Amino acid sequence: MTSSSQLLIPLHVRYIQSLGENKDDLTYHLTAHLRMNAVYWGLTALCIMDHKDALSKDETIEYVMSCWVDEAGAFGPHPDHDPHLLPTLSAIQILVIHDALDRIDVPRVTKFILSLQQPSGVFAGDQFGEIDTRFLYSAVNALSLLDQLHQLDVEKTVSYIKQCKNFDGGFGAVIGAESHAAQVWVCTAALAILDRLDVIDQDTLAWWLAERQLPNGGLNGRPQKLEDVCYSFWVLSSLSVLRKVSWIDADKLTSFILSAQDTENGGIADRPGDLPDVFHTIFGVAGLSLLGYPGLVDIDPVYCMPANLIESKGLRKGWEALPRKAS
Amino acid sequence: MHGVKRVQYSQAALEAKKQRDHDKLKAYLALSDDVIARKKSHDMSNEAFELTTRLLRMNPEFYTVWNYRRDMFIESLFPQRSPSEVNELLSDDLSLTFELLKQHPKVYGIWNHRRWCLEHIPDGPSPDDVNGYRNSTWNKELFVVEKMLDADARNFHAWNYRRYILATMPFPPPPKSELAYTTRKIEANFSNFSAWHQRSKVLTTLWETGELDRVKSIEEEFELVRNAMYTDPDDQSVWIYHAWLIGNGNYAARLQFEITSIQELLDEQPDSKWCMESLVRYKRLLIEKHAENLGDKKALVDSCLELLAKLRDIDPPRRRRYDEIAEGIRSGNEMQ
Repeated sequence: MTSSSQLLIPLHVRYIQSLGENKDDLTYHLTAHLRMNAVYWGLTALCIMDHKDALSKDETIEYVMSCWVDEAGAFGPHPDHDPHLLPTLSAIQILVIHDALDRIDVPRVTKFILSLQQPSGVFAGDQFGEIDTRFLYSAVNALSLLDQLHQLDVEKTVSYIKQCKNFDGGFGAVIGAESHAAQVWVCTAALAILDRLDVIDQDTLAWWLAERQLPNGGLNGRPQKLEDVCYSFWVLSSLSVLRKVSWIDADKLTSFILSAQDTENGGIADRPGDLPDVFHTIFGVAGLSLLGYPGLVDIDPVYCMPANLIESKGLRKGWEALPRKAS
Repeated sequence: MHGVKRVQYSQAALEAKKQRDHDKLKAYLALSDDVIARKKSHDMSNEAFELTTRLLRMNPEFYTVWNYRRDMFIESLFPQRSPSEVNELLSDDLSLTFELLKQHPKVYGIWNHRRWCLEHIPDGPSPDDVNGYRNSTWNKELFVVEKMLDADARNFHAWNYRRYILATMPFPPPPKSELAYTTRKIEANFSNFSAWHQRSKVLTTLWETGELDRVKSIEEEFELVRNAMYTDPDDQSVWIYHAWLIGNGNYAARLQFEITSIQELLDEQPDSKWCMESLVRYKRLLIEKHAENLGDKKALVDSCLELLAKLRDIDPPRRRRYDEIAEGIRSGNEMQ
């Protein structure tokens, strides 16, 4: 009834196109603080489904530029919203995908990003000081895309990640925090970009990641928690960087992701029967791409962007996903 | 969006819902436009402050509005007030955020604002008691975070906040009381990996400061874990913690003892994946680290390979991992 054994690409493309048309929906407005991320999620999902042109390039770039906050030298998530590292990374990723980085003032954005590094090595999200390894990853990813990594104090940055490492091999949001698959991904991907995978206890971490798979095929983010489609990407991308995707059951995970599709209106939800959103749609599609699902475009698990684009910029790291299936 | 069910509405229900949403939407947009316009014109009035309260109740994720509120505190509200009044003002925001957290326990912006408030609690009430305000606030925070963890014992926001509170308290409770807290949480539910994690952090500190004797304390931990293992041998939290304990007390006699004890459990529960996984792990440790004390190494190797073959059968999703470990054991054995 609500599940399918196939990825419903045309339906998901229409779903993503329709997201900007929901302006009489309260949820659309309540999530304005995530709009820039949502545009990046939607665009990347379209790229992976090989429908990059389904959203207008010019309109997308104009939206991104309308969120530029000149006093800060950074992007907000929506016009009139404050600048923050998360929408700034999404804006850069969108502009890279559309080959429009020339629209931004690279030295100023670089300065904004570097100004958020704390003495401990972690990054704050904005001037109000919330810290998180997510922000550290955002900074490293953005600086790398802008070709400004040489300005980063790598030793200080890596030292913070090292202190977040737990006995289970995983990483948390801050020093002392419990391991969580999303934080594992940001730390693993940041270390991959910085060529410092030696920090990771690879056998222990890959073991912990493999144990995220539940009997129904879905992945959870921590021991004894429920499965959720978004962990398909966070666990799989980390396993790809460690070259251990084969340590989980790809077929069962593929079926689980497909079963969370909304077969009427498109989009993918956290789990079967729930309301879809663009966040779970990109991470479901990206997970399927890493699993070698036929017909999809390769995603780079380190940058969460189209792999050929990252490769063309000379940024590809030594990750390994499953080979693309013919059908 | 997490855990929101897809619902099929009837036509009439759909219309009614649309109307309700429409009214809410209109009110939300009007308020949001008003607040943003005031922010742009740098309005620092009490009226503007009250409007941010109303808007944040409707949408606590609107971080730009929390920022605006903080700007108002710093630029306008604090400078006009005595320390005692500032303390009261911040205490009102702590009440507001507690109320919001009860409805939205996982919204980063609310936790973040709470922390910001704490960082701005003034010195006082008097020069002789500069930590008075902070002390009473922090004590309340410990109470609040316990309430949050009673509601959801795995909420990582709450655990992170708890660690932050304990680390910054003017007069922190003795670290052993945090150990007792994790014992209570674990005894309430052995599957609470967040509590096991916290326990590992607290114990590490207690060992480093010498407040607990490491060797004796590890012995006691093994006892606690053994109870949990027998209660639910399928619970991975306990086994992951057990592996950590072994890593801290990795000597041959302990490994032998644990191997015997897990083997007994496996005899009772012949299909227990975690018993087998752990036996392989610890037998490999014996082979790798204590080869000189081993009587019959071949027997250990054979037993690992046999367990791995069985794991492959009972846990097929992870069979490649078991195969790779078996290959590693075989090639390591051939080399010697």
